[in-house]
Amino acid sequence: MTAPLPGPAVQADDPALDWFGHDVPPATRARLAELAQLQRFAPGEVVFREGGESLEFGVVRSGRIALRVVVPERGAVTILTVEPGDVINWSALVPPHRSTSTGTALSDVEILAFDAAAFRGALRSDDALAAAVYPRVLRAVSRRLMATRLQLLDLFARTEDRSW
Amino acid sequence: MVTPVAGRAATRRPVPAPAAADGAPPAAFLARTDLGRLLEALQADGRTVIGPSIADGAIAYEEIRTIDDLPIGWRDAQAPGRYSLSEAGDERVFDYTVGPTSWKRFTFPPRIPLSRAQRDGRRVAYTSVEPETKPLAFLGVRACELAALGVQDRVLQDGPAVDRDYEARRASALVIAVECAVAGATCFCTSMGTGPRVRAGSGFDLALSEVGDGFLVRVGSPAGSDLLERMPTRRATADEVMAAKAQVRAVAERIGDPVPTIGLRDRLVDRWDSPHWARIAERCLSCANCTLVCPTCFCTSVQQVSDLDGLVSTSERTWDSCFTVGFGKVAGGNFRSRPQDRYRQWLTHKFATWIDQFGSFGCVGCGRCITWCPVGIDVRAELAAIAPAAPEVAGTHAPEPVAASPDAYVTARIGSIHQETADVSTLRLVDVDPAFVAGRPGQFAMVARPAFPPAPVSISRYRPDGIDLTIRAAGPSTASLVGLGPGDELGLRGPLGVPWPLERAVGRDVIVVTGGIGLAPLRPLIHGLLADRLRFGRIRIFYGARTPADLLYGDELAAWAARADLEVGITVDRAGPDWTGRVGIVTQLFDEATWDGASAIAFVCGPERMMSATAETLGERGLTSDRIFLTFERHMECGIGLCGHCQMGRLFVCRDGPVFSLAEVRDVLGREGI
Repeated sequence: MTAPLPGPAVQADDPALDWFGHDVPPATRARLAELAQLQRFAPGEVVFREGGESLEFGVVRSGRIALRVVVPERGAVTILTVEPGDVINWSALVPPHRSTSTGTALSDVEILAFDAAAFRGALRSDDALAAAVYPRVLRAVSRRLMATRLQLLDLFARTEDRSW
Repeated sequence: MVTPVAGRAATRRPVPAPAAADGAPPAAFLARTDLGRLLEALQADGRTVIGPSIADGAIAYEEIRTIDDLPIGWRDAQAPGRYSLSEAGDERVFDYTVGPTSWKRFTFPPRIPLSRAQRDGRRVAYTSVEPETKPLAFLGVRACELAALGVQDRVLQDGPAVDRDYEARRASALVIAVECAVAGATCFCTSMGTGPRVRAGSGFDLALSEVGDGFLVRVGSPAGSDLLERMPTRRATADEVMAAKAQVRAVAERIGDPVPTIGLRDRLVDRWDSPHWARIAERCLSCANCTLVCPTCFCTSVQQVSDLDGLVSTSERTWDSCFTVGFGKVAGGNFRSRPQDRYRQWLTHKFATWIDQFGSFGCVGCGRCITWCPVGIDVRAELAAIAPAAPEVAGTHAPEPVAASPDAYVTARIGSIHQETADVSTLRLVDVDPAFVAGRPGQFAMVARPAFPPAPVSISRYRPDGIDLTIRAAGPSTASLVGLGPGDELGLRGPLGVPWPLERAVGRDVIVVTGGIGLAPLRPLIHGLLADRLRFGRIRIFYGARTPADLLYGDELAAWAARADLEVGITVDRAGPDWTGRVGIVTQLFDEATWDGASAIAFVCGPERMMSATAETLGERGLTSDRIFLTFERHMECGIGLCGHCQMGRLFVCRDGPVFSLAEVRDVLGREGI
């Protein structure tokens, strides 16, 4: 991610943590809040770049971000948009820690950002935090995978019907 | 009550019946004088035959040793709290309906040993009792009773836990069904969708219809086929097949539709506090007769039967009833101490909560509980009093189509054409037959141009002066239609098909999920919701398309999205950088939402794979399968269920649909090659 100015402190009852941290024990939620930093992006700003090092894991707090992949001669294709509650840059937690798409803000966007190295360190040393975070990240990634499969089927593609 | 079928003139040469449309082998004919051979064959196979026989002044199910044990020439007369028999003195074998026994007496006996316990000094030992079964044959199982066996199968052996005794007994019985030729005054199988017709695939080995001087015999299983091959049958004539159909149709017409079941579950659970429960309780004796004669009631108790010194005891499972005082009792008190509580428990279980537990009604409409209630409480009347059918939304009923048969068309003129996307156009038709203007959301028309085969097209808007058709150019016919211009005429048949059940949405939150051109058949539904906006709860519309350029009705979508009383979510599968809307599949618009769909109703249209993903996500949001409606696409040619093209399992999409509840199509949705 680009590095805007350090944002204000994040409270444990922040709505983004409400979504991401639903049912998380209060102590763990407080730990998440400690690690998080609020970042803002204007429409058109790139939040993270495909192939770039994932410096921050994020949870969308407000606004909409397009995840785009560049295809030669087709330009940037949006394959998914993410909204409040969604995870971005999960690649910060999975080697080789490189972003798999480019995230561009489509509107004013707020993100709870977690510094990748610090977050990984915290997950290694804090079992309760890891037990709370990993299933949620896995769920987010799995949901995205299932959706991508359906998109891949191209269900609305035009088909010829010789009878009519 | 007797409706013997007149024999056809003997001079006419019998025409062999064609194979049935569902691919079943053609029906055979067994002479009445050969019915004994069937009995003998079953007995030769080592089966004990159970069938109707007169016992204690009623037709009960007893062992049938010879044909003379059957109530040949007898009739029953039933009414609430009344039952009587009379002798007609003819040869008809099955001209009565169901009596006080049901087949559960044999598949789920009133008393069975479960386990034995022994005490020897300070040691105790338990051994379970293996089910003791012998091969049975059930002769004379009616359509409602086949359904009842199916209901008990779902409860007792389709898991997650299995009743081993039931499973063993059920597997040991061969089922010979009989289609009803008479209607009982307490019957309501038509309303419950279980009869009187014995449907293919409903679980019989053989099915008999008594016509003329014998029985039309249909085969339902390999075991039935083996048995039939040993019978002296001939191939049934077309006249006999038609006579059997006419006979059962007359029974259905005679019964009518005494219990409107559309929305019954929801109506009933909304009436927990009806004062009528107490009024019924003034008459109800809590005698439990209704549950004992019911072919689906399955509640039991386990009792310990001990010898006098207590060294050996047996756990016996016996039928119990929610009408008994002690049924809901715990140490701290009785949860259902009043008769009104117990009646409510029974009725709401049969007609409402059973659906949540097992996916179907617990009632099959056999009417036994009405006949055998000592005070004649009629469940049909009580349902009407407690949970009356909702007043209809104006014009809910589909109108009679014009030019219904495939040889007749009416014409209409194109007023204007609006191109929606690269290959989709909306034709605004004028000079349309009034029948079309009176059509309902979800119906379709067969649309034709000379020299082209007619294409089924959803009606995408009803206007006072005509209709809109939204057509995608996918083949020669549809391409010719979108290529027409204002003033051109075309041929129409319709409106056809089952509409969206808009009336069921009254008072509920409504969810519309659609993809691609699937918005077309849902657009009139949305118009219907908006025309009567205050009668519905929150309305949420989720629409997915392939790309932004494939979104239909752009101006109208924008107008809907601008309304405060409508939530509209739009997403596309892929987009270029200029699109700032959502990208992703349509279920992502609501799979993480926080609203509760427990009392909502959903209407869904799109590619089948998208509909199955949507149905799954809606289920996670709390919608039950009877409140998710889908519309299907199949190759429709005649539009009225005669040509066979649009068959989908046991359904014809054009005639039985195209709108179905998920409950109706769960077995075919998403299945390959159906």
